[in-house]
Amino acid sequence: MKNLVAYITTGFPSLEFTVDVALALAESGVDTLELGMPFSDPVADGPVIEAANLKALQNGFKLHHLFEASAKIAPHIDTLWMGYFNPFYHKGMDTFITEAKKAGVNGFIIPDLPFEEAKPYKSVIEAAGLNLIDFIAPTDSKARIEQIVTDAKKFIYLVAYAGITGAGKSEDLQEIVSDIKTFTDTPVYVGFGVDQNTAKEKAKGVDGVIVGSAFVKVLLDESLSNTQKITKISAIAKEIKEKINS
Amino acid sequence: MDLHKEIYIPKPSPFDPDELGHFGKFGGRFVPETLMPALEQLRKDYEAVRFDKDFWAEVDYYYKNYVGRPSALYYAENLSKELDAKIYLKREDLNHTGAHKINHCVAQAVLAKRLGKKKIIAETGAGQHGVATATVAALFGLECEVFMGAKDVARQELNVFRMKLLGAKVHAVESGSKTLKDAMNDAIRHWVTNARDTYYLIGTVAGPHPYPMMVRDIQSIIGWEAKEQLNAAEGCLPDKIIACIGGGSNALGIFSHFLEDESVECIGIEAGGEGLECKHGCSLEKGSPGVLHGQLSYLLQDADGQIQEAHSISAGLDYPGIGPEHAFLKDEGIVTYSHITDVEALDAFVWLSQSEGIIPALESSHAIAYLKKMKPEDIKGKIILVNLSGRGDKDMIQVKDILKEQFA
Repeated sequence: MKNLVAYITTGFPSLEFTVDVALALAESGVDTLELGMPFSDPVADGPVIEAANLKALQNGFKLHHLFEASAKIAPHIDTLWMGYFNPFYHKGMDTFITEAKKAGVNGFIIPDLPFEEAKPYKSVIEAAGLNLIDFIAPTDSKARIEQIVTDAKKFIYLVAYAGITGAGKSEDLQEIVSDIKTFTDTPVYVGFGVDQNTAKEKAKGVDGVIVGSAFVKVLLDESLSNTQKITKISAIAKEIKEKINS
Repeated sequence: MDLHKEIYIPKPSPFDPDELGHFGKFGGRFVPETLMPALEQLRKDYEAVRFDKDFWAEVDYYYKNYVGRPSALYYAENLSKELDAKIYLKREDLNHTGAHKINHCVAQAVLAKRLGKKKIIAETGAGQHGVATATVAALFGLECEVFMGAKDVARQELNVFRMKLLGAKVHAVESGSKTLKDAMNDAIRHWVTNARDTYYLIGTVAGPHPYPMMVRDIQSIIGWEAKEQLNAAEGCLPDKIIACIGGGSNALGIFSHFLEDESVECIGIEAGGEGLECKHGCSLEKGSPGVLHGQLSYLLQDADGQIQEAHSISAGLDYPGIGPEHAFLKDEGIVTYSHITDVEALDAFVWLSQSEGIIPALESSHAIAYLKKMKPEDIKGKIILVNLSGRGDKDMIQVKDILKEQFA
């Protein structure tokens, strides 16, 4: 069975709605939820997720909102926090570890904290029984892949192409996937540009997919009511889960 | 030493970062994984030319024949008389394109060309770095795209036209605060996608390693020349060196050759904007350590670690961060940092124009203004070197709007 990881931006359009969407995703076959921490300068993200980040902040999102919402979500689905490094650094990794344990969150995905800079934090996070997800990009050499994935836990986030989230690009990943698999048994999930149309293709040879912009697009769609958004997001999740396993 | 004959080559410095780009706890590489191989490659490529005579000889050819180096060291007679001190101005404003920015653009373009890159990208605030990048792109036949906040595109219309005239494509960035910070976000996004064939020509001593060290090495020609020129004029070191700081390239450029001279006080001037209790650009004085644009340094941020907007009358200083080496030098107490407000800078803009016939850039006006802010006993009889990092031509439209009644 291949897994589906879903990303949603926390606090957009509202915190209550984030909890409702998260629970609906849990019931639609999503295996792991990435709760996005809105950040003022999300450089790895494309226009869709960036817009959701900025709107959430304009609506008054604060980190304690993430902690509160997570406590309601994490008992129902494997939950990770996905956010840029500055809030972690500013509040202190210890604070995030404590809050994650309290809420039942299982780890962090930090896209601007590469392997070298992650080292001192990774050991602390793992000592607390949490995970820090490692990234592999299609630009990485085999030597670098070996270095990164040797100690990778939970899953490896394979970036599908050189670019930002939500771009309609694709690169042949078969070689890089087989490189990763020579060094580790940790599952490989592919993210960036995965939606209903590309999921089947992108899931080839890997253990799961990560979908973000496709869900956030629905969150941003002002022509839909909240109920319609939940219905649509659940349908997309079910469709993707089916396609990657067909 | 004859500066007209010598070739500038950087030297290893006790302030060099470690292999991962750390100046103490600051610096580093905080970027998406996709960029790490490109940065590691650039680190190796730069290490290969860092002390290489052929590389710097090529750069030197353009410095002497195209930029107009060495830049003059001018004894500002009237300021000196007024302040009862010896004031020397390092005239980076006389460089081609009007500021020190051309130095790192020429050297990085020579590097990009050697690396076989056909495209360069840059971010820009006021447009000075964008213009300098577009200039070297034209010179070396490189394709050039410049990212500029939509707000800056509107208020720096003339520089946008200059960039386009030079053949560059200008992207107006509509996200976030629509200023330099957001321009840099979009330049990074573009580079993540195109790093394989594109050279990112960062415009200051900031960003992920190796940029802070590389741009500092390149700009340090300013202090290297000034040390020699002042020695020829006075036979000694300066007592104080003053430079303005946005990201911090002109300041490190003039400071680094004096950091080991204990008798010399280096003073970096941040943008005080409307005052430290209002909107400003004082990352060092009022910010706290954090991560933005690939580096750990001082930042203007809120309690949650969200980046705050900076403010300065000078678009070139309107940035919520600062180069990581400055953060290190501040914490170690090696450099003194202070600030100058918009009003004080504007006053100095007029003061230098009317006392020496030199119209400074609004950025450099911050450094000039500090001469007036110092206590008389701190300046009397002292030899003071000020980095006049750019000329004020680019600021004419903006300043005319503010001062039109004073000069009606």
